Amino acid sequence: MKFMDWLDERLAVRQLVKVMLTEYYVPKNINFLWSFGVLIMLVMAILFVSGIFLLMYYKPDANLAFDSVNKTIMMDVEYGWLFRHTHAVGASIMFLVLFIHMARGIYYGSYKAPREIVWITGYILFILMSATAFTGYLLPWGQMSYWAAQTITTLFEKIPFIGPDLVIWIRGNYIVEDATLTRFFALHVMLLPLLLAIFTAIHLYAVRIVGSNNEDGGELTKEDKKKGKGISFWPVFMAKEFFVMSVFLVFFFYLVFYQYKFAMDQINFIPADYLQTPHHIYPEWYFLAFYEVLRGFFFSQNLGLIAFLFSMFIVAFLPWLDTSPIKSGKHRPLYRIMFWIFVADFLFLTILGKLPATGLYAWLGFVGSIVFFIFFLALPIISRIEKKRLAGGM
Amino acid sequence: MKELKILLILIVLVLIGYWGIEPYAHSVMHGEVKQPDHTYKDVPKNIPTTGDPVKGKELFTTNCASCHGLKNDGVNPGMDIQTSITSFKVVPPDLSNIGAILDEHFLAYFIKNPQDATKNPKFAMPPMAQLSDEDIGHVVAYLKSVTKKDLTGKEITVEACGRCHSIKYQKVLSDTPKEPLKEYLGKVPPDLSVIGKAKNVEYLETFINNPQNTLPGTSMPRLGLTKESTEKVVTYLDQIADPHRDQRNTLGIWVIGYLLFMAGITFAWKKKIWKNIH
Amino acid sequence: MAEERLSRRDFLLYAMGGWAVVGVGGVLYAMYKTWEPLPEVKAQATTKFDLSTVQPGEIKVVSWRGKPIFILRKSPDMVQCKDRSVKDEYTVVAGICTHLGCIPNWEPEKKTWHCPCHGGEYDACGKNIFGPPPRPLDVPPFKIEGNSIVLGEEGQEYKQMKEKGLTV
Repeated sequence: MKFMDWLDERLAVRQLVKVMLTEYYVPKNINFLWSFGVLIMLVMAILFVSGIFLLMYYKPDANLAFDSVNKTIMMDVEYGWLFRHTHAVGASIMFLVLFIHMARGIYYGSYKAPREIVWITGYILFILMSATAFTGYLLPWGQMSYWAAQTITTLFEKIPFIGPDLVIWIRGNYIVEDATLTRFFALHVMLLPLLLAIFTAIHLYAVRIVGSNNEDGGELTKEDKKKGKGISFWPVFMAKEFFVMSVFLVFFFYLVFYQYKFAMDQINFIPADYLQTPHHIYPEWYFLAFYEVLRGFFFSQNLGLIAFLFSMFIVAFLPWLDTSPIKSGKHRPLYRIMFWIFVADFLFLTILGKLPATGLYAWLGFVGSIVFFIFFLALPIISRIEKKRLAGGM
Repeated sequence: MKELKILLILIVLVLIGYWGIEPYAHSVMHGEVKQPDHTYKDVPKNIPTTGDPVKGKELFTTNCASCHGLKNDGVNPGMDIQTSITSFKVVPPDLSNIGAILDEHFLAYFIKNPQDATKNPKFAMPPMAQLSDEDIGHVVAYLKSVTKKDLTGKEITVEACGRCHSIKYQKVLSDTPKEPLKEYLGKVPPDLSVIGKAKNVEYLETFINNPQNTLPGTSMPRLGLTKESTEKVVTYLDQIADPHRDQRNTLGIWVIGYLLFMAGITFAWKKKIWKNIH
Repeated sequence: MAEERLSRRDFLLYAMGGWAVVGVGGVLYAMYKTWEPLPEVKAQATTKFDLSTVQPGEIKVVSWRGKPIFILRKSPDMVQCKDRSVKDEYTVVAGICTHLGCIPNWEPEKKTWHCPCHGGEYDACGKNIFGPPPRPLDVPPFKIEGNSIVLGEEGQEYKQMKEKGLTV
């Protein structure tokens, strides 16, 4: 204890522990979906650690990358395969956990005042995570890595005036080549993780200020906390969290050992070849829904691109699209219907995104893309209806 | 109860998504894998596959040995690598074990008409029109008599695929250098080191059995491997692509067991902490 | 007196800030320039190719700026198009599908290009005839020098095509 006193005088650790853990209260009426924030931190930690060990053998060079991954790491390094499987599955599962975390926020209205900053920083984290995943996917330098990067960087060509030059600038070459690989590598292992860490800190800080939302959307007052309406973050909340984490890890490592193929596409075990396009090109599953919105407007490429950008960015504006004073979807029947349509549509788009965009699939993709936007466009209308009803009720 | 309901919804959504992007999408993209035909139905079976090995050896020496070697019987090819590349753009294989690797009817028909047997009009070996069907029978009998028994998957793979394909991670390089191969086949054929990860076993088996069926227009010839050799090749390719499979399967059980136990402890602790809350 | 000093301090503060912005701008410019293609990449800007080496009905693929350029010498049984042909019988197009940047394969029997990615098709002139591609295959900038073609430079013929909007 002497040591703790010594440390406390210099770092105020006791106060810190109180503020951050033991006297930070989380509402009682929450379910295990509120555990997903900590799960994201867990997956992030797994990705950091596995990434560091991959970094020790990986070679960011177009001539060496493929072999350093598929021979050195997968075959020669002891447990190298384990770290690669964990990293690949971890990246995939990160998005599953993120999507659930975001969907929970949308369903229970966690983006609403006073949590706009929480939502915005969370959204920035999502974009950063997407960028990290995209740059990381190029690194094994397989056919799918290569052509995914080629296809997505080609999108920038459509930007008026600067487009074609911008593409060359991003690639550092006229096509995706060694220069592209090395700079993506630098972004993936250095800049993007750094930004992720910074924004995670801001996100968590913001949550500590405004507190967690809950199933019913009411806010905890200081009185409530004393009366026992809240539970302390430590040990009560985390006691449950640890259980959720271990169950999650069982699922996660089951995937790592026995069901990893969804995260390591077969085609990516063929070395990158810029003269031969694979028969089917598709992004990893977590980008499929957005990719399908891009392809959905199959009759106009420009429209598709605009829709794609719109689908990525509109999510950030949720707090201002939905102005209804009622927070939780639990008490908003109309909103709930729209929410489930949105979830179903997202799933539908994800599945369509992997199928060849021909014939019926092309039209289904178009319909699905339109439905995707209906949710966001309906929010202001639902808000108005609910406001009227509230006013009438009073 | 409510939490279980939420969990159930999550599981259902994840399973639907998984089904859509994995089994369903792949079935749409790749269609059904055709069944391999190891009897080579289209190959005429009327050429004899038995005869006198001694006569066969004579015929071999006069007709085949100018290009092909046969190390098992001490025959060296009459041509060095450079000459054969200039004339064929590919190095003719050593035929020591060909009698054990190939289906005998296929082998007989192949000698007679390589282009049709391999389904590859650009195949480098000329038809052996000077040999009668009976002669071919003698040669086949000879080839079968000199082969080694119980070839390993690696030996078969190197003999059957090695004149064009490299297996870099196993330190096996193709007999023919890359440049002439590019001329002969249009591109350098893929390295087979991790092909077992890029393609699944069923695909490889069907593809090796008849490449044109799976990939119309490909410059890979039909090889006429017997069912047993095909299986050995495919097993070998699968094995070298995934050398840590056993370790992974065993370790997985330990890790999951450990985590299940961890879940048990954490559950007990949660119960204890939450006893007085509600 | 006091006010004056304050305003002078303000001015200095702004000057310092402004000067710092200039410095940051310089650093950003240097960062931006590091991502430019390297000299050896830029050296690939032009490629010269002898057209007479292509037989009628034959297609050759030339690499220009890392992109495959298809040079097809059309035989009389192929689709003819005056405006998109070079020297009346050659089709010179970038072998990159205008849909999502894949490389189409030439199918000699059908005399069309077929894109393996999403099923787009182009005729022997490089015009899109089926599937998702929004426009014909691009014509790369070229210049005719006798029997040779120089890719990457804009010659008279290319400029004429460009004016008619046929190159993009």
